[in-house]
Amino acid sequence: MKIERNVLIAVVVVALLLGAVLRDQYVLHVAVMVLFYAVLASSLNLLVGYVGEFSLGHTAFLGMGAYTAALCATHFGWPMWLTLPAGGIVAGITGLVVGAITLRLQGPFFVIVTLAFAEVLRLTAMNWIALTNGPMGLAGIAQPAWLAGAGITEAKLFYYYVAVLLLAVTVYLSYRLVYSNAGRAAVAVRENRYVAQSIGIRPLTYALLALGLGAFLTGMAGGFYAHYISFVGPEVFGFPFMLSMIIMVLVGGKGTLLGPLLGALLVTFLEESLREAKELRLSIFGAAVMAVVLFMPRGLMGFLLRRREQRAEAVASIARPESVA
Amino acid sequence: MQTLLQFVANGVVVGAFYALSALGLTLILGLMRVVNFAHGEFYMLGGILGWWTTSRLGLDFFSGLALVIVVMGAFGWLVDRLLIERVRDQGEEAGILLTIGLAIFLSNTALLTVGTTPLKVEGPMAPGAVFIAGAVVTKARIFAVLTCAVLMAASWLLINRTRLGAAMRATFQDPMAAQLAGIRASNIYACTFALGTVITATAGMLLASIYSAQVSIGGLVSLKAFVVVILGGMGSFAGAIVGGLLLGLTEALWGGYVASGWVDIIGFLLVIVILVFRPYGLFSRRSERA
Repeated sequence: MKIERNVLIAVVVVALLLGAVLRDQYVLHVAVMVLFYAVLASSLNLLVGYVGEFSLGHTAFLGMGAYTAALCATHFGWPMWLTLPAGGIVAGITGLVVGAITLRLQGPFFVIVTLAFAEVLRLTAMNWIALTNGPMGLAGIAQPAWLAGAGITEAKLFYYYVAVLLLAVTVYLSYRLVYSNAGRAAVAVRENRYVAQSIGIRPLTYALLALGLGAFLTGMAGGFYAHYISFVGPEVFGFPFMLSMIIMVLVGGKGTLLGPLLGALLVTFLEESLREAKELRLSIFGAAVMAVVLFMPRGLMGFLLRRREQRAEAVASIARPESVA
Repeated sequence: MQTLLQFVANGVVVGAFYALSALGLTLILGLMRVVNFAHGEFYMLGGILGWWTTSRLGLDFFSGLALVIVVMGAFGWLVDRLLIERVRDQGEEAGILLTIGLAIFLSNTALLTVGTTPLKVEGPMAPGAVFIAGAVVTKARIFAVLTCAVLMAASWLLINRTRLGAAMRATFQDPMAAQLAGIRASNIYACTFALGTVITATAGMLLASIYSAQVSIGGLVSLKAFVVVILGGMGSFAGAIVGGLLLGLTEALWGGYVASGWVDIIGFLLVIVILVFRPYGLFSRRSERA
């Protein structure tokens, strides 16, 4: 717990310090995307890793946040420090409503019903042209005024720091949730639903709490994405985003706070480096995903943790030779 | 009245394909509990292979179909033995991620091999149309729907009237007891997966003889098949058929009378409503929820 906290603080500090060094536009863009995905993966991990329900509808909250921020910025001219929380709050409320309906289901049913919700929202964004401008999307989302005078690198750097702030908020809130009574209750539900109920834990309450917080954080990330790219289309509800998120969580190691951050870093770098392979890119990516599932089922963090446990056992057996004999 | 009949006729044709592809999925998802996201890719492979055997190898439609069935059966068997088997007892997450990886791999590799052009499978029927009670239906469509019906009947007979089918039913009722009775469960799982793959691929080839086979179709087919399986109830044979026809008809009527842009949304709304009020589906006899 203490190690995890210190490593998380170290990650945020390193991210802050990197901002002072990075000047290349492409590298900055990749760094911003890593941070953005780290926020998404961490918030999804709250549900997948700690409550133990596999959601394929997290893009619903990403899209709600992105569209809310975009609409507030273009129609009411709200500044960025207002639109991001607004996106988060709308997404959080969506999360509570969707969760209240869907969290009563488990297993494959939950997977498919969450996917259905995301698809319904995507098709709505596609067809409700009066509000969302349909497949054309909302373009020209306002940037903060002072950025107009600054160069492209400065603008990217500004968004980099906003993303670091967002990640810090995400990590802090996740940490507080996971190491609170509510977080422990959620883990109890994950490990054994019936035992948890027998000692007075209501599964729905804690699952809703985790989903609501995850949706809020994802919505803020969505708002950030809308401003950063300055365009929002129905794709934000789409399956590719969902895919990246879920792969990051599982590759990094679900149920750990550090895993999704690691996963976001690894998968974004993998995707960027696979650009070299052009058409073969997705084939290699698909094969890599299968390989991870088959050979590293608990993700990278699970792999590392097991190595540590094994070493601890080895040390223990050397210290007590009589128990071996 | 005239247009209504036409919509119904179109709905039945599309519904028959939904039913057939959902039949494949109801074996894999309903009985084996693998949330198979590569389902649509199996469908797509059926269409592509069908095109390849009929126009590249120069086989006639039925020999081509037989070849597709053999190849896809072997493929499904291998996928289960090499991939699915290794994550069978790890909950649904591992299976989902594995099949998503497989789907990405298959669709992109198919894209590299045959490109994005829609590929037409030459059907065995001469072009032409017949009028049924005022609605125009091409002969190719009637043939495809009839083949769907034959295939459904054949799978029903396989599951309910053969030794293999009895072994399948036993395994999914109680794997342990089935193994004690001398059934090789891993074999049965692979057979079921292969059967589901074959049924789906056949649907893909048949539909390619009416419309065309496209590499990018997979994702949409998977989603529609999930919708139908949930509608009909997990693992329910009749449910998949009725659910498929229901979805096809509703979409055709909605698209005809209300708004064509919103057609795809119906299935998902239906899924949400069904899962909230009747989570075991419309037609499932067992009132189970996972």
